[in-house]
Amino acid sequence: MRMIGPVGSYRELGLQDHLCWVHGDRGDYRPHLGEFFRDGLGRGLRVAYLGSGDARMVRELVGRVAGTGPLRSGKAVRVISFEEFYGAEEPVDPAAVTKRYDAATQEALADGYRGLRIGADMTDLVRAPDRQDAFARCEVLLERYSSRHPLSAMCGYRRELGDAVAQFACLHAAVPAGLTPFQVFACGDGAVGLLGEFDQACQGAFERALRRIEPAPGDSTLIFDLSQIQFMDHHALLSLDSYAEACPVPVIVRSAPPLVRRAAQVLGLEHLGHLRPGDL
Amino acid sequence: MRTGAARGQVGHFHEAGFYSSDAEFRALIVPFAEEGIAAGEPVIIGYDDRKNALIRSWLTDLSAVTFPADSGVYATPARAIAAYRRLFELHVAQGAGQIRITGELPNLGDGGIFDGWDRYEAAVNTVWQDFPVWGLCLYDTATAAPVVRDVVERTHPRIVSPSGVRRASGRFQVADFQALPPVPDPLEQTSPMIELVDRSAAEARRALAQIGRGQVTDTILDDLLLGVSEAVTNALIHGRPPATVRIWAAPDRIVVSVHDQGRGPADPLAGLVPAAGNAATLGLGLWLIHQLDIDVALKHADDGFTVRLRGGTTTG
Repeated sequence: MRMIGPVGSYRELGLQDHLCWVHGDRGDYRPHLGEFFRDGLGRGLRVAYLGSGDARMVRELVGRVAGTGPLRSGKAVRVISFEEFYGAEEPVDPAAVTKRYDAATQEALADGYRGLRIGADMTDLVRAPDRQDAFARCEVLLERYSSRHPLSAMCGYRRELGDAVAQFACLHAAVPAGLTPFQVFACGDGAVGLLGEFDQACQGAFERALRRIEPAPGDSTLIFDLSQIQFMDHHALLSLDSYAEACPVPVIVRSAPPLVRRAAQVLGLEHLGHLRPGDL
Repeated sequence: MRTGAARGQVGHFHEAGFYSSDAEFRALIVPFAEEGIAAGEPVIIGYDDRKNALIRSWLTDLSAVTFPADSGVYATPARAIAAYRRLFELHVAQGAGQIRITGELPNLGDGGIFDGWDRYEAAVNTVWQDFPVWGLCLYDTATAAPVVRDVVERTHPRIVSPSGVRRASGRFQVADFQALPPVPDPLEQTSPMIELVDRSAAEARRALAQIGRGQVTDTILDDLLLGVSEAVTNALIHGRPPATVRIWAAPDRIVVSVHDQGRGPADPLAGLVPAAGNAATLGLGLWLIHQLDIDVALKHADDGFTVRLRGGTTTG
């Protein structure tokens, strides 16, 4: 069972959880990362730290935080450079990045582990505003991938990124409570889940998140699951409707709560037209 | 091609009439409907069940007459405007040269229930101007209070008598219609359950959900939540601070007011029709509020602008 929604703890994460963890600095992050790794090892997962810098120092650090001592390659704990997963090209290619995550996950399974668990502090990678869109798209694909494969990840973002943190946080299934009023997450069946409260105050953030969602290659429809929405006002519904208008495949919404159905009915939405009967 | 008294007119030909008996009611409505039927014009009739039955018995041919089955048409002024617009579009698309519509606003004798319908009668002069509509609004002198008669004369350019005499209403206000101030709700004279100053729409929703859960039905509470969210958003974006939300609760009903110190929308039709253009403007949120199953009142005063929402039973 994936953890979906605001969380107060990084503990008890399962094989497919995708957590955004916001912290003050590396010193604050490492103890949590260590616990996340030790928990993963206890679950029979391969754990990997994604980072940059002096390889020897990183390996020593990861061995220390994971409680395994000095690392030996090919074993349960690994260090992977950012470049190995994200490549050197600018901007990064989200589809290519996801393939590398997949290859590493399959390799862990082939080596007898129950899956792969990754920890990374993404702050330095996403600091430049012109890189943020591509990395956010990576998060969307990683979220989708982890919803269907044994890949769990704790993506660290430091508070110094300011408002930019929320735009990454809202693309994770699990986020610290109070960080973002809404989340866009992946359902296990390929649908895009919307969770939380969507109103004018987060309108820009929601539209930005929507722009980063694309139908999966080969899918003939894109389904939005609205069952976890607590509130959605007309601004957000019209944004969703506009997204549906521009989407290359028909957009279907399902499981809308009564309040959302009510607002949609009043607005007479045009482009969420391929609706399952009774859903909206 | 328009027929009858509206021949040669453009847009909405808006008339009112007063009757004091079934005979006078018949004298007003039968010529209006029969002339339309004879000319092949669609005739739309919306009265209560008793009057609809009388009309059915008086008319010779009901095939061109529509009695809107949905009694919810008159649930709120904005919904009545929207529902009739859709009906007019349908008839015009089918080639109607004129559409005759006659009806009566609900429960006029019931004190404050006329709240908002004065704006409706003023608004339809403008918002139905796109259609070849002849609207005949009949009022029962036994139930229409003096304040209602006053509004009728200010919102209808023409008055017709049961004897068929037509005259211009000397008191018709075209663009400068002054709406009636909303009748205060008794709860507003008491201390609210909560008062929030310059807080987000999300905080207002949380407070309302907490107070309203179990007090009114979930359906009404959802409408109130949608309404308060839109009203607070408007106050924060378009109003002048502070924006103050007050919530009152009594058994089976909730009253919410959202006040700011700005002047509110200048458009007298605000909320009754969707705003043109950018959907993010104030107009669409206010229009959405007016489409809900809650009582909505707008109050312009020296100290600012207030949107009042009431759900559940509307009076204590």
